[in-house]
Amino acid sequence: MSATETQPDSSYLLRKLHSFTGILPVGAFLAEHFWSNSAALVSRAKYDATSEELQTIPFRLLVEWGAIFLPMLFHGGYGIYIWIKGKSNVSAYPWVGNWLYTTQRYTGLIAFAYIAWHLYTERWLTHGKSTYENVAQDMQNPWYLAFFVIGVLASSFHLGVGIWNFACKWGLAATVKAQQAAGRFGALVGVTFGVVGVLIILSFRFDWHPFSAYLPNK
Amino acid sequence: MADAKLVIVKVKRQTGPKEPARWEEFSLKWRPSMNVIICLRDIAENPVTRDGKKTTPISYDSNCLEEICGSCAMLINGKARMACSALVDQLEQPIRIEPLSKFPLVRDLTVDRQFMFESLKRVKAWIPIDGTYDLGEGPRVSPETQEQGYPLSNCISCGSCLEVCPQVNEHSQFMGAAIISQVRLFNLHPTGAMNKNERLAALMGPGGIQDCANAQNCVHACPKNIPLTESIAAVNREVWKQALLGWLVG
Ligand code: HEM
Ligand code: SF4
Ligand code: FES
Repeated sequence: MSATETQPDSSYLLRKLHSFTGILPVGAFLAEHFWSNSAALVSRAKYDATSEELQTIPFRLLVEWGAIFLPMLFHGGYGIYIWIKGKSNVSAYPWVGNWLYTTQRYTGLIAFAYIAWHLYTERWLTHGKSTYENVAQDMQNPWYLAFFVIGVLASSFHLGVGIWNFACKWGLAATVKAQQAAGRFGALVGVTFGVVGVLIILSFRFDWHPFSAYLPNK
Repeated sequence: MADAKLVIVKVKRQTGPKEPARWEEFSLKWRPSMNVIICLRDIAENPVTRDGKKTTPISYDSNCLEEICGSCAMLINGKARMACSALVDQLEQPIRIEPLSKFPLVRDLTVDRQFMFESLKRVKAWIPIDGTYDLGEGPRVSPETQEQGYPLSNCISCGSCLEVCPQVNEHSQFMGAAIISQVRLFNLHPTGAMNKNERLAALMGPGGIQDCANAQNCVHACPKNIPLTESIAAVNREVWKQALLGWLVG
């Protein structure tokens, strides 16, 4: 801690913006992404149709950069800055909240590395026209598969803890009871996202479509 | 010697902020209800280390000996604790005693907590009741508000909540949980609320409430069981309303 200064700075707004972008749009995008990708659980054709739908939205580049890439770059970049400014002490004080504080930083970094690689392989290399076949082929590589699982679990965990943080840090949950409830809700979201994410990965890996019975009989 | 119960204490010593640190070990005679301050007093009475070397009494702060003045916070077995309420019988030996690490060191176990008082001044942690004329009686405070405020008023500015906070460190100016909780206390009071917006504005400045990252260590460390995480959430809500909607709703 250094000498007290009273000059106002931009850190309040930047910090709030970081917190907000974690939920909107980054968290919301993660939800959308898992939702649209679960089309793979129905069939290859459904997945390709859903992908095409998304790949052909009007003003695609604008939407991608404005609503996904830039907010994510900001959240990730500022997140790393916040990380460096903190000083983790979980070995001296191993309380649950302190563990979550530390894991929030590592899972954020893993998510960042994973998302960068994921964008490179499934968005850049395929010129934004990736299909079921592209992803399924990548999944045959055990290293890709492992990185997918780690990335999905890290992102889900990070979002789950983030929801709890968000509820506390905006004063939406302002009593111990409400914060515990927000924590349980965050845990539910984290676990649900993790499970759904892994199911989607398994679908690609094993050409597995558990919801194919939903399709009309041919 | 063999039958007398002994207490082994290791103290981190440093003659000044720029001097090198060293550890000294002491062997003290056990007494019933012995606490860490009693250990430090016994050492002062007979400043001889365990291996028989003469040394100086240890510098430390303490006053009330009943966890009410806030001066005796230190690291005991690696954790921030009040030395006067740290009972020897409940501590693992050798008992390691170090100064708080987040405040500038003065000497041995004495640290300078001026930072906290400067922060309290920044947020105007008081209720202005003085005028050039008699201001008359203040407004009545509802029992409900009193009940909310009383636990917050128990803060003894010991600094434990800052010591355990990962966001308080040499790269940060974060004022810490105690200060935020005091803002809540003074904003609760109807007279104090007259300066509400000034206090909230101070918490948007450097080292303000935005630096809290919700690790929630403070609430575990507070010797007075102050609901710090509730205070931070409640004040956070007020601050962002003021910051983001202030221009809209005045
Ligand atoms: C899958 C993408 C991501 C999602 C959905 C996400 C979501 C969130 C959410 C909802 C929060 C809580 C906001 C708050 O603290 O008030 C948060 C916090 C945080 N995120 Fe992310 N985030 C993602 C990626 C990242 C990345 C790439 C980093 C970079 C390391 C990162 C670092 C952080 C940090 C350090 C915090 C804690 C901030 C604090 O303690 O004040 N996040 N994130
Ligand atoms: S809030 Fe608790 S831990 Fe923090 S200074 Fe006050 S009494 Fe000490
Ligand atoms: S001596 Fe006053 S709190 Fe310990």
